[in-house]
Amino acid sequence: MKADTLAIHGGFAGDRETGATAVPICQSVSYAYRSAQDLADVFDGKTPGYIYTRIANPTTSALEARLTQLEDGIGCIATSSGMAAIASVVMGLVRTGDKIIAASGIFGGTVSLFENTLGRFGLETVLVDAADTKNFAKAIDDKTKLIFVETIGNPRMDVPDIPAIAKIARKANIPLVVDNTLTTPVLFKPGDFGADIVVHSTSKFINGHGTAIGGAIIDTGNYDWRKGIFEDIKKLSGKASQLAFLSHLRNLIYRDLGGCPAPMNSFLMLQGLETLSARMSRHCENAQKLAQYLQNQPKITWVNYPGLTGRRFYNRVQELFNGKGGGLLTFGVGTKERAFNFIDSLKLAKNLANLGDAKTLVIHPASTIFHEFNAAEKEKMGVPADMIRVSLGIEDFEDIKADFQQAFERIS
Amino acid sequence: MKLIVNGKESNLEEGLTVSGLLIAQDVKMPEMVSVEFNGQILKRSEFENTALSEGDKVEFLYFMGGGNVTN
Repeated sequence: MKADTLAIHGGFAGDRETGATAVPICQSVSYAYRSAQDLADVFDGKTPGYIYTRIANPTTSALEARLTQLEDGIGCIATSSGMAAIASVVMGLVRTGDKIIAASGIFGGTVSLFENTLGRFGLETVLVDAADTKNFAKAIDDKTKLIFVETIGNPRMDVPDIPAIAKIARKANIPLVVDNTLTTPVLFKPGDFGADIVVHSTSKFINGHGTAIGGAIIDTGNYDWRKGIFEDIKKLSGKASQLAFLSHLRNLIYRDLGGCPAPMNSFLMLQGLETLSARMSRHCENAQKLAQYLQNQPKITWVNYPGLTGRRFYNRVQELFNGKGGGLLTFGVGTKERAFNFIDSLKLAKNLANLGDAKTLVIHPASTIFHEFNAAEKEKMGVPADMIRVSLGIEDFEDIKADFQQAFERIS
Repeated sequence: MKLIVNGKESNLEEGLTVSGLLIAQDVKMPEMVSVEFNGQILKRSEFENTALSEGDKVEFLYFMGGGNVTN
């Protein structure tokens, strides 16, 4: 089946007992078995079954099966948030004293997770400018356990050369983890270009309506855990084969950290997936149109959208993302004060900390999602004081343009 | 043809694919099962086109439950 069909039918063939075509919300903490032996057999893995919703849940399993198919991976674990997905992956692969390499233009919350939260446990994070692929190779040493990049850096809007970075990771026999939140499998399947693990914040475009927080981890099947550098995972591969990493998470890291999604939220993600492809087309179309409009707007100082002709990452967007630049763009208006004035003048676009909603959203990153970083750190992460980030919704573009036009007329 | 399914020898009709094997073996929770085919985990997109032949080894794996991976 094609991706657009899998997004609607993948992972669920209808409820056998009731004929329900929507995935039922299995709002149950636990699952009863007829005998003590039956439950013991499920714990021992002799019989497939559910134990406890912190570990797995039927509604969430349907979401996991659908995401596995959409990313063309070998398995998936859905999580309570994108941060829970990233935390589970990294904590499943590193130990105290280990090092990871990440692109410096990634989401500030992810940098904080790596440097502050996991740094407390002795993880070293090296941030490199992803625009020059050689930076990744230079930073690798024998303590390095993974490379982490976003398909489009948020909010720097850089597009790393994932096929080249995947080759560097393969040569070092370490996994490449790719956050595919901004592109989704509709625009890009990282596994097709050598990535080993894909993570998502499903709260964004996959949910699509700003109604639930969630995340996901997909193993693309590219990294052979049987020959990998992770001894505890390698031991599991005797029984779990290439599913050893996901088994390691499901039966230890993810199980123990407790970052499971609520079944209702998994249902909302499944519903979002059904319209993801249609929505992504409109998000990208509106972003392209707004970027072109902003290029000719005299009150801005700069605009950054990788889908703009002639821009640094334009060719890569054509090559990797089927010519689409995503639904996010940034622009500057000279000063923080002017940025605040502009945001305060908008009427349709909402000023909030999210992206990927059906509604158009804006935010001033430097004072919000990056507020904990000092000026030098913000500069390194590509977050100037005059930056406004826009997540294009799927409204009629003429209404979005009119909103921006009236806001520009209100600022000096 | 003879296949090794979950470690046991099974006699199955010729020309079966992995998708057909799931039906023939009445595999539990077919949407959730992972299939190891001669030592490699198959992607679901490969189930339909992977033809089985004499001596192939197939394992059905589930890891959604939380118990140890079963086979």
